[in-house]
Amino acid sequence: MKKDKLGRKMDRLLERELAGELGHSNRNRALRKFGANKLAFAGGLVFAVILLLCIFAPLFTQFSSTNVDLRNRLSPPGSVHIMGTDQIGRDIWSRMLYGGRISILIGLGSALGATLIGVSLGTWAGYRGGFLDATIMKLSELLMSFPQIILVLILVSIAGQSLWNIIFIFVLTGWPSMYRMTRSQMLSIREEDFVQALRAFGVSDVLIAFKHILPNAIGPIFVNITLSTATFILQESALSFLGLGVPSNVSTWGNILSPAQNLTILRENWWIWLPVGLALSIFVLAINFIGDGLRDAADPSQMG
Amino acid sequence: MLAYIARKILHLIPMLLVISFLIYLGIDLMPGDAVDFMISPDELATVSPQQLATMRANLGLDKPFMLRYLIWLESLVKGDFGYSIQSGVPVSELFEKTLPATLELSFAALLLSTVLGSILGVVSALRRGSITDNVLSVAGMLGIAIPQFLFGLICIIIFVFKLGWLPAGGRMTPGHEAFFQRLDHLILPACVLGLSMTAGVMRYARASMLDSMNRDFVKTARSKGLPEWRVNLLHGFRVACTPVAVLIGFRLPMLIGGAVVVEQIFQWPGIGVMFLSAVRTQNTPVVMMVGFFSVLLVLVASIIVDIVTAMLDPRVKLQ
Repeated sequence: MKKDKLGRKMDRLLERELAGELGHSNRNRALRKFGANKLAFAGGLVFAVILLLCIFAPLFTQFSSTNVDLRNRLSPPGSVHIMGTDQIGRDIWSRMLYGGRISILIGLGSALGATLIGVSLGTWAGYRGGFLDATIMKLSELLMSFPQIILVLILVSIAGQSLWNIIFIFVLTGWPSMYRMTRSQMLSIREEDFVQALRAFGVSDVLIAFKHILPNAIGPIFVNITLSTATFILQESALSFLGLGVPSNVSTWGNILSPAQNLTILRENWWIWLPVGLALSIFVLAINFIGDGLRDAADPSQMG
Repeated sequence: MLAYIARKILHLIPMLLVISFLIYLGIDLMPGDAVDFMISPDELATVSPQQLATMRANLGLDKPFMLRYLIWLESLVKGDFGYSIQSGVPVSELFEKTLPATLELSFAALLLSTVLGSILGVVSALRRGSITDNVLSVAGMLGIAIPQFLFGLICIIIFVFKLGWLPAGGRMTPGHEAFFQRLDHLILPACVLGLSMTAGVMRYARASMLDSMNRDFVKTARSKGLPEWRVNLLHGFRVACTPVAVLIGFRLPMLIGGAVVVEQIFQWPGIGVMFLSAVRTQNTPVVMMVGFFSVLLVLVASIIVDIVTAMLDPRVKLQ
């Protein structure tokens, strides 16, 4: 009988099972699955390359990202300025590298901050329930009922435009979704037998919640970190593009793109916005591939 | 059903009160006030502190915070949305001017993304693993990764500058103001907004279609000998619609807020552009009303989502 794809896969699994090759812990399987995912691997590679280029920016460019050179305004890509210069003579390639630092810092920093707050609140409130949980839930509902961009814009005008304010705003608008995700995980895991057992042994609530339950929910949390990093990088670029993000004298990917609102620059000086736009999109795409790979790897219902 | 809707609407009121208070508080916390923006820096030297105080008193800015908020709330209940501090035009009039533009753009984009996203999602679910499916998922990934404004700029380059088919921005050419005469202005912004929203719908539609195709009721329908298209569309897709309807419900609020970036790029004279400039100049009444209406829209949309879900999925009952 001819077997379909799934049948053949099951056969291979059975062979390996019999040969004693399986039986690793779940975490190993997740790692192996992630490694076998070609898109996720490529995403990781691109992510690492761009990250290293930005971190070690001084090694890859001799120009400063802020040095104004009015004699070299809007010069197209050439041997000296490999990506050309912008309308006040700053080197685009070095702005891209140094700007990447800030954009990635905002993306990763906001995602980690939002995760830290959302996950700790979600773990504790989800485990304990009661008044605290109901209050935080209402608060997150309140924050989430604002359309994102309207909330961010209102907050930008209250807090003012600076790097740390932008991160603060993203953390403030980002934690509710992390909270809800962690909370729903906690709600289902806290009913399991091992939790009852720990409780019967008299283990403290903090230990049960953070040490014993939380690690079971770590998969979805990592997926969420990657995907919200991508979202925050995109949001930063949109805000800076509108002139409401990081102050325009600081290079970020969004700030470099901002002059393209001017139709003349858009039409005549493609090197100002196209390379950085591509870099931004490729970077976000790479993060999304990693996130999808993590999601598949963390999902125990998908064998492999 | 009616009792359900009535109860939901009653739940709305405290939420709206809290949110309106928070917005008002937030705007009050911004540095400076509206009077600071009404006087240009060169004129500031010629204006005496007394005159400034009179201006503040005229605008009611000298009253304590809570009182100002209550006054605003009272006039809102009476249907008076206040006046733009900059131009003195009633906020309702500003809305009348910008709302049609934004709704026109957003409805076009919502329609495009819903129809296109559902069709593409269902097609790629039905041909799972095929080349079509793979091409569509890569396109979907790209659609999520490319910033909306970059996509808009690239479209301007191609369709306005290279091909010269469409105008670059604005809503109409003076003298050609009938709907069909200004349709060419709408095409580009609506497509940019719509296509950038399509990827999400497509991923949702694909996932939920795959999910419902494996359910028992689809197998039952198939084993009854129904033609394949009936099985897929009337049985599978009907239930698969539910998550898609939920997603679209959550996007209804974007009718007001979501078009900010696209409106800015295409100089579309809508609410987004008005909101941007109001935030920049601390035009409290205008910011308040845009914020207030978008939250109202979110809350109403979530009720609509509940009702539509109950209509689409026979298993869901409203409680």
